[in-house]
Amino acid sequence: MNAHFWRAQDSYLRRDVALTLLAGDQGDAAAVAAARRTLERAAHATTLNHPGKARVLDVLSQGSGIGAGEGLIGIIVADWVRGTDLIDLVAEYPVPSAIAASLLEPLAAAAETAHHTGLVLGLDHPQRIRVTPQGALFLAFLGAPAEASLHDDVRGLGAILYLLLTGRWPLPGGPEGVPAAPLGPDGHVVAPRALYSYIPQELSEVALRCLSGDSIGGIRTSAGLIRVLERAKFIDDETHQLQAISDDEEYEDDGTVWTTRRPSNDRATRRKLAVGVTALAVATVGVLAWLGMQLISFFGDTEPGAGGPTIVATAPGGNPQNGPPPPQPGEPIQAAGVRVYNVKGTADNPRRATFAVDGDPKTAWKTDAYAQPFPALKPGIGIMASFAEPVPFAEVIIDSPSDGTVVEIRTAPTERPKLDETKVIGRATLQAGQTKLQLDSAEPTQHVLIWITTLAEGNVSELTEIRFLRAQ
Amino acid sequence: MAIATMVSRITGFFWKLMLGWIIGFGVVQDSFTIANTLPNIIFELLLGGVLASIVVPLLVRSHDDPDGGQTYINRLLTVGMTGLAVATVIAVALAPVFTRIYIDGSTGNANPELATAFAYLLLPEILFYGLFALLSAVLQAKHVFGPTAWAPVVNNLVVMATLLVYAIVPGKLSLNPVHMGDAKLLVLGIGVTMGIVVQAAILLPALKRSGFKFKWTWGFDARLKEFGGLALWILGYVLISQVGMVVTQRVLSAASAGGVSIYAQAWLLFQLPYGVIGVSLLTAILPRMSRAAADGDTQRVVDDLSTGSRLSAVMLVPISAILTVSGVAIGIALFRAGATDLAQANRLGTALAFSAFGLLPYALVMLQLRVFYAMKDARTPTLIMLVMTVVKVPLLYMCGAVVDPRQVVIAVMLVNSLTFVVGAVLGQMWLWVRLGNLHSKKIIAVISKSVLAGLGGVAAAWLVSRFVLPGTIGSMGRAWLVLIVQSVVAGPVMVGLLMALKVPELKPATSRITRLVRRG
Repeated sequence: MNAHFWRAQDSYLRRDVALTLLAGDQGDAAAVAAARRTLERAAHATTLNHPGKARVLDVLSQGSGIGAGEGLIGIIVADWVRGTDLIDLVAEYPVPSAIAASLLEPLAAAAETAHHTGLVLGLDHPQRIRVTPQGALFLAFLGAPAEASLHDDVRGLGAILYLLLTGRWPLPGGPEGVPAAPLGPDGHVVAPRALYSYIPQELSEVALRCLSGDSIGGIRTSAGLIRVLERAKFIDDETHQLQAISDDEEYEDDGTVWTTRRPSNDRATRRKLAVGVTALAVATVGVLAWLGMQLISFFGDTEPGAGGPTIVATAPGGNPQNGPPPPQPGEPIQAAGVRVYNVKGTADNPRRATFAVDGDPKTAWKTDAYAQPFPALKPGIGIMASFAEPVPFAEVIIDSPSDGTVVEIRTAPTERPKLDETKVIGRATLQAGQTKLQLDSAEPTQHVLIWITTLAEGNVSELTEIRFLRAQ
Repeated sequence: MAIATMVSRITGFFWKLMLGWIIGFGVVQDSFTIANTLPNIIFELLLGGVLASIVVPLLVRSHDDPDGGQTYINRLLTVGMTGLAVATVIAVALAPVFTRIYIDGSTGNANPELATAFAYLLLPEILFYGLFALLSAVLQAKHVFGPTAWAPVVNNLVVMATLLVYAIVPGKLSLNPVHMGDAKLLVLGIGVTMGIVVQAAILLPALKRSGFKFKWTWGFDARLKEFGGLALWILGYVLISQVGMVVTQRVLSAASAGGVSIYAQAWLLFQLPYGVIGVSLLTAILPRMSRAAADGDTQRVVDDLSTGSRLSAVMLVPISAILTVSGVAIGIALFRAGATDLAQANRLGTALAFSAFGLLPYALVMLQLRVFYAMKDARTPTLIMLVMTVVKVPLLYMCGAVVDPRQVVIAVMLVNSLTFVVGAVLGQMWLWVRLGNLHSKKIIAVISKSVLAGLGGVAAAWLVSRFVLPGTIGSMGRAWLVLIVQSVVAGPVMVGLLMALKVPELKPATSRITRLVRRG
């Protein structure tokens, strides 16, 4: 078919129109018949409205608008849409893959819609196609050749994709100024990816499969193409954005907008972004950890036995209510000797230590009055009770007026151990009156430390009486 | 093979349960747990990673030697076992040092002396771990898989028997001072070590049957050298991960007695879904991915990674949801028996619930790790582990400082999971730097939908337990009831939501699970 594409002005309505001029000798019956078919197709196309194709305004044929001897056998008039030529777009550099995909997608969608109603668009030549300012390809010059089929449209879409990706036209009869696509040894055009290795495999392949049409593995409907384009658009969004962020300088150096090469500092940019995202993740995690810990504290159970007149406190790892029965308290046992256990500074009232075990509720051992709570001056203060022989203990009962004092019961290997040599076997917050501390570990020990970690009000605590009950 | 692995997992899990029931969560189990991980850690440092990544591939290659690899195997066994024997002696001598590294005894809540006593008895395991690893590598190279797969089951049975004897032996472990001659101590220490000894010894007849004859052969195989660099990075990975481990154990042992054991058991439970589902997924995808990586086919590597990530999301996020809502019930259902009291079982379950969200990040980290290794990159995983550790350590100390001592174990599990989130993000970012586009948006879309479905399941399970089974869970039976009811309600709700959200990965995921169920 011999078609010319013109932009013209409708002198009545003063608007621009796109003209597809079908040239030919009016005496050539075959050419006239083909042109009539083309015009019919274009007239049918008026029923289809799609942003991917221009609206057909009028169809002129010989006798209705075209005089004899003009060398024309038909004219198709369509809306003129502002934009640029596709060929101009790819003249200097091919288009990046993601952009190619997003450019082509509306056109492919138009073809798909047209094909559903049995219309052929006639995407056989790049000059028919223009690019809107919004970045979409559309069919500006309508008029499908008489012999064109739906498959030809798909092949044309493949060819346009090929052109976008590589700047070369893979079908015979390409426009001037656009180089033809190189042929491989098998006689077919080479894959776009073979020309530019950065092109995604999938996109490169789909262009070839559209072009191959009827042969095995070929794509014959535009639906298949659209799926790939959508994915390619999606896949490449990120890298595309990244290039835009990062490589401004390089672009400026080139003085070009499009580049055929993958920018060399692509990876460096990604690395920067990766570090940024990681830092963000770390910060978020830090905040989440803090929030989580608040939540845990919120859900957490309170200190055991925070109420009740006689507290039953247990060893930290202990198990009083369930499991193996705790050691049953037997008879009380008298300590052979007691002394104040102090790790820092001077001992508190060392000579009164025995008052705590003398069985007399009127006498007591008292700590010094501290200016600040533990562990400001010392980690704690305690009474070390030693026994004649290793004894398994079941309970310690402490009589004290100092409400809020926190004591730990610890076993010790010697009479004067370091604090970290002692082992916690019970812990409780004392209340005014008697506090019973149940111990679960009945292993015999010769030395027991009553270790005060928190003092009562006024930073002073008093222990009236401490009684030790051995396990049965 | 799959059955053997399953049985060994189940028996392994069961003896851990028995540990909780018989010994309880306290100083004894803490000390035992730490002492029992020591030989594992030291073996892993000395040989573990190197063995898997270097020695075994070389073993397979040595089959093409003129003598069918005999000399190579003999040399490997001679040098390897001698080295390990020396290392074992040194390690036993250093036992007190090791336990003091892992245990913070300054607060009196832990008992380094007891751990050291256990360590003396358990550290000889190093030698037998090594023997087992080497022998099973040799057998695998000869395509004999059965004994290697069943040996851990035997080990688990020995340990179970040991625990029963421990329960029967009268008396109580003396904690202060610790007596090396204590019957219970000896039973537990020697019995567990015997388990590993038997596990290794059981391979010897199989090796003999394969026609292998051992001969002392000294020398160093030159082929080992080419892997030196890789091994160093793997070693670095293990070392750095141990820094995190040490701090974890120190924070836990300082906070309160039982923390170390609760953490160990919660971690075991946390890993269970990944062990069953994640590993089966990995074994399906890994060989394909390694081949693609070897061919330099980035696109296929990316596709497999993306598929693996999305399938993991669809399968693991719903499980996370159930663990979150039923964590406490699970803890009580499994552990509230014998020596374990309600508060401890409850704490274990809470720790599980607070950390369950980390299941998917954990699986992603593991998947990414394999991608890096498939690309013969041992360096990046080590660097990722370094960042994770740098994030983890201060957070762990924060746990110790902010949270009530007995709740520290919950916070530590939480921090653990958060660290995996960092690791997963970091891994994804670095893979993106290396490989380009990873279809991350698609992955995130699937994860978001799965999370949405998971939230729906959580809400449904919560509502059910709120209105149908109100009140707290006090007993094992009730915990099972709550757990089953919640799972039965949440499961279909989540699957339904996933279907409604049109998650395409649901189908392969469910078919994979049904296949797994049918096979099991």
